[in-house]
Amino acid sequence: MAETLRRVLNRGSAAGTGENTAESGPPLLLLGAPGCGKTALLFAAALEAAGEGRGPVLFLTRRPLQSLPHGTARTLEPLRLQKIHFQYPPSTQELLRFLCSAHEATGPVPSLLLLDGLEEYLTGDPGCQEAAYLAALLLDTAAHFGHRAGPNRQCGLMVALQTQEEADGGDTLQRALVQRYFPAQCWLQAYEAGLGWRGFQVFLEPGESGPRAEWRVTFRPDGEMTVTPGPNQTREPSLHTSSGSRGQL
Amino acid sequence: MAVALPAVVEELLSEMAAAVQECARIPDDHLLSLKFVFGSSAVQALDLVDRQSITLISSPSGRRVYQVVGSSGKTYTCLASCHYCSCPAFAFSVLRKSDSLLCKHLLAVYISQVMRTCQQLSVSDKQLTEILMEKK
Repeated sequence: MAETLRRVLNRGSAAGTGENTAESGPPLLLLGAPGCGKTALLFAAALEAAGEGRGPVLFLTRRPLQSLPHGTARTLEPLRLQKIHFQYPPSTQELLRFLCSAHEATGPVPSLLLLDGLEEYLTGDPGCQEAAYLAALLLDTAAHFGHRAGPNRQCGLMVALQTQEEADGGDTLQRALVQRYFPAQCWLQAYEAGLGWRGFQVFLEPGESGPRAEWRVTFRPDGEMTVTPGPNQTREPSLHTSSGSRGQL
Repeated sequence: MAVALPAVVEELLSEMAAAVQECARIPDDHLLSLKFVFGSSAVQALDLVDRQSITLISSPSGRRVYQVVGSSGKTYTCLASCHYCSCPAFAFSVLRKSDSLLCKHLLAVYISQVMRTCQQLSVSDKQLTEILMEKK
């Protein structure tokens, strides 16, 4: 999934040309505080994958999007939108049931599985084993879709998890657990762009599949999105350093 | 197993797989390496493999999951595509404390994959859903 996201951002900044591979890369976890553009990036990735001529995109979220995310107007071709299938599991139990029974579904095999707002399914202190099982099942479901799609095909996976400024111990442990299941991670950090503009920095750490990268994404007051490649120095985002032990599973 | 084990363990497992293909058993030095990396879990895992406690369950959809009958007779579920076991040791030592790489059940699954010795069971797609749902 890290590679799909890289294509989305490189396309936005016109820095990437000739990247027509449909490789989606390893499962990616998108981390950021409320309102820093996680949903917008997920939706952009959905539109990107929907335009790749492969299977549909499965978009899981607790509640319907209230409006289309900023900056996507230009790419809103109806054919692409039709390929994005939304599902709204209302509870953790329902999300588990959806993932556990994903192999019973008939019809075209999804090429990309997206989940927005994982934190909404981790409320009520589900305990570390439940949180890990949810993360592991997301990977297992995507792996099954990839297997069904045929040899050398994969189904991408991208999950957004909200981080809190002042996380307590339970939240930190939960996040560390979920992070262990995702080889690639992407941090979003909002910054004040001034005059009604909203901006956020995107740090992509794609694990073994490629180099780290950084972008700046800015929304004009009218919703227009611009992406610029970030500074070249690879800075450690602050969220990263605070995540504590982060062994890979 | 895209998201799985540290490279050194992956390497050991693939060397073991090659050796098993060649001489139909795990060479002693590999057993020692297993013991060195995993401590007492290695012996317990080999015991589970010997007792054929590992079952690979698959449904017509192609989805698969492992079940391991532990030494106490309890059945645990291990996912086939990534690192997860439903046993308490996995929750405590691997997830919470981060002081082990895996539990004996997952190690038994990996060893049985190397030795190609696990039991196979076919179930319906619906039954597989129930198996995945049961485990919590």
